[in-house]
Formats: sequence, C-alpha cells, structure tokens
Amino acid sequence: MNASSKNDTGADSGEHETNLATIPLLETIRRRGRVWRDLASQYGVTNPDPPWKVNLEATCDALSAEACALPLLERRSEEDELSASLYANVPFPERQLLALAHSMIKRGLVDEKELASRMKQVHDRLISA
Amino acid sequence: MAKKHTEDEHGHRPPAPMVDEISDFEVLEMAVRELAIEKGLFSADDHRRWTEYVHTLGPLPAARLVAKAWVNPAYKKMAVTDGVKASLEVGVDWINDMPTHFGTPSDYCNLRVLEDTPKLKHVVVCTLCSCYPRPILGQSPEWYRTPNYRRRLVRWPRQVLAEFGLQLPPDVEIRVADSNQKTRYIVLPVRPAGTEGWTEEQLAEIVTRDCLIGVAVPKPGVKANAKRPVHPAVHPVHHDH
Amino acid sequence: MSKVQHDRTHHAKKATGKGDPQCFKGEAGPAKFKVGDRVRIRDLPDIFYTRCQVYTRGASATVSAVVYESPAAEDEAWDNTDKPEWFYSLVFRQKDLWPNYPDLFANDTLETELSERWLEKA
Repeated sequence: MNASSKNDTGADSGEHETNLATIPLLETIRRRGRVWRDLASQYGVTNPDPPWKVNLEATCDALSAEACALPLLERRSEEDELSASLYANVPFPERQLLALAHSMIKRGLVDEKELASRMKQVHDRLISA
Repeated sequence: MAKKHTEDEHGHRPPAPMVDEISDFEVLEMAVRELAIEKGLFSADDHRRWTEYVHTLGPLPAARLVAKAWVNPAYKKMAVTDGVKASLEVGVDWINDMPTHFGTPSDYCNLRVLEDTPKLKHVVVCTLCSCYPRPILGQSPEWYRTPNYRRRLVRWPRQVLAEFGLQLPPDVEIRVADSNQKTRYIVLPVRPAGTEGWTEEQLAEIVTRDCLIGVAVPKPGVKANAKRPVHPAVHPVHHDH
Repeated sequence: MSKVQHDRTHHAKKATGKGDPQCFKGEAGPAKFKVGDRVRIRDLPDIFYTRCQVYTRGASATVSAVVYESPAAEDEAWDNTDKPEWFYSLVFRQKDLWPNYPDLFANDTLETELSERWLEKA
C-alpha cells in the first residue's frame, strides 16, 4: 500500500502505511478460530456479542488513552484496511480483535512468539479451571 | 458451565444457555490484554476502569433525551442549544463520566442535538474514522464503522438511506452531519403521529439507535433496529490520489 | 513549542473536570466570522496531519454556528496547544460539493465543522 490508500473523502492518514503482510499465528486463528456467530447458534445463546467484546473495547480505549501506545485514529485506519483485505472474511468483532493483534505485532508492542506462548498458557489455565 | 439445561424437579427455569467451548478468539483477547498490562501499555486498574465504563454505555439515555424533548418544549429548547447540559437530565455527564474526566479524542465533550422538522432530516456520519456520541449512544454499530457507509453517505445520502428502508420526498432537505472535529451529534426526530398521550417511557421505546443516528425514523410499534446485512461495495471506490 | 522536557500530563491537567474543548474557552480572541457569513474552504497543504476533508476544499458554505475554541487538529496532533482557534459549523449545499449531485434534490445539504484557518470570505 502507498499513499493511494487514502480515503476517497478523507485526509486523515497522510502517509500512514498499514503493514499487510500476513502473521502466521493470526492466520492460524483466522482459519481455525470459531467465531461467536457460530458458537452462539450452536449453543442457543442469544447474546449478539461475545462476552470478551467489552474487554476488547476497553483494551482499545486504554491503549489510546493511557500511555498512547496505539492511538485511536491509527488503529481504526489499520483496522479498516485489514478488514477489507486480510481479515475480510472474518465477522465483527473477531476481525477487530485480529486487526488489533496485527497492529500491535507489526509495531513491536508484542512479539508473535510471545503472544503464541501466552495464548497457550491462557488456554491451559481456562481448561484447568 | 453446564452442558445440558433441563428443567429440574422443582420446576425452576433452566439457566440461560452458555457457550461451553473455549474459542481461539477468547484466548487471543485475554493474551493480548495480559501482555499489554505486563508491558506497561496500560495498568490492570486502567483496564478495569475502562471496562466498567464501556459496560454502562448504551442508546437508552439518548432515547430518553428525545422522548423528554418531545413532551417538554422547554427541555427541547435546552437540548438543541446545550446538548451537554441536557444530557445531565438523562444521567449522562459528558465530562466526568469518562474514566479520563475530560473526554478522549473519540469522545470529546461537545454534544449537539440536531432537530429534524417535517422538511429537514438529519443523518450522522464520521467520514474520518468512526467518531460517535458514545457516552449517550453506546458503541457504534458495525455498519457505522465501515468505509462503505462513511464514504458513501456524504456523497449519495439518498441511496444509502434507501438501503436502510428510508425514502424521503425531494422537498425534504436531507442534511448529512459529518462529525470529524470535536462535536458529536444525535438526531432529534419528528415525533410520529399515533403517539398522542404517550408517556416519556413509551416514547423512548420507539426511539431506536438507528433513529438517533438518523438512518431510520420512529414508528409506533417499532422498538428494534432493522437488520442490516453488510455487503461489499458493488462498485468499489478506486483511489487516484 | 519550546518545552525542554515534555510534560505528557499537561492536557489532562488542563481538561480534567472541564472537558475538551471546553477547557480552551476564552483563548482564541475575537471570532473572525459570524453566523450567516459566506465562506470558502481554503486548500492548505496537509503534509503531516489534517481533519479538513478533501471534499470540502474550495467549496463555499454558510456559517451556521460559531461552536467552540480549540487548537486546530493540525496543531493538536503534535500536541501544540499554544494557539486555539474558533471553530465554525458550516452548511454546504450538496450541489456545491458534488457537481453531479441530482438537481431534483437541490435542497440537500451537509454540515461539518472547521477551524478558522481553513476559511476565507467567499
């Protein structure tokens, strides 16, 4: 992507570039992960949003408002680009989560290997609970 | 996390069903959050404050503001001149409710209530990203965030509104409000016929989120937003600058 | 800005309990335009950051409200809050923004805000 990725009506992102190279860990989750839409219909749950959505929103807010590690406009602009490309076939809010993880890894805020091993820990903790 | 939900012998209602499966997305969300906290990008306490705040958000206060304005002309006048002050009466303090106590770039503290008339219909968008009057209207819907809606509404408002099922005659002025600076907007629609003598509570029930964004108008009996499937653009915009 | 050491909390100190943009009230001096004035949107360079949308540039509009004082987004993006400006709410005829907007809907309009630097008398 180059400067031509600028919104038709917008002028916000200037020369900002989104790194659209795939990330193996997130590709695995994209392919294998079961989205809320399917889980909710399988288990007969009526809540339209997954329980983790509110945590994700708070994470996005805190990343922007506290130490400003990932400012809102940058994250939203990258989420838009990733939602139209790499994660186009993932429903919302799963794709917001993938886009957030993508932006954080590409910025070096978290490391892909580190995230993978933390996911394993979290998973083990959840199944043992 | 019970798998089976059969009625017990005392005739108690079964608990609401739950998803008894750990998804990769649930795990990813937790892992991202824990690492962010460990690296000092925000604290666990920050996250708790934001979660509590996000939990409180929804479209109900904005619906109550509209209902109140319909029944009380003095309140309506206040609402259209000072939306922040009018919000206090429906329990929303734009300045102090936020965990920051001054707003954030996505929730600046300036609310404007756009009053429709039979000849003027407002509809709200943020072409820049997806600015939204969150303290009084909750999280924005998925379609509001899409580049499709944001790019097209300013340019083809009638076509976009028609996709939401709202077709207006040419003598009604459509005014698109693009909230790309520090003001956030909600729409005060025209009170529909057939609601004479209704209480504020009854009126608030028909002021849906979509009415407050301006892509729908309130109708007696309609208490929910219409389903809005998201389709990719038929003729996507080609960028040349 | 000449701050030797950058105080990352200065915005919080200024805005807490007052709100943003309310915390900049009284800092912009007299407003150059008033309600009813016809203005044209300037096409200023935007190499680094702007919130002035491309579709408004060069178009004429009517001031519908003088809304608040705030540093322009183009300065605030760099944490330069030294010179707040007046912001105006502007109503454009859709026909003035999109020349091929249908004549049948000539009444249609669009309202948005811009800071004073973007406006010149039309």
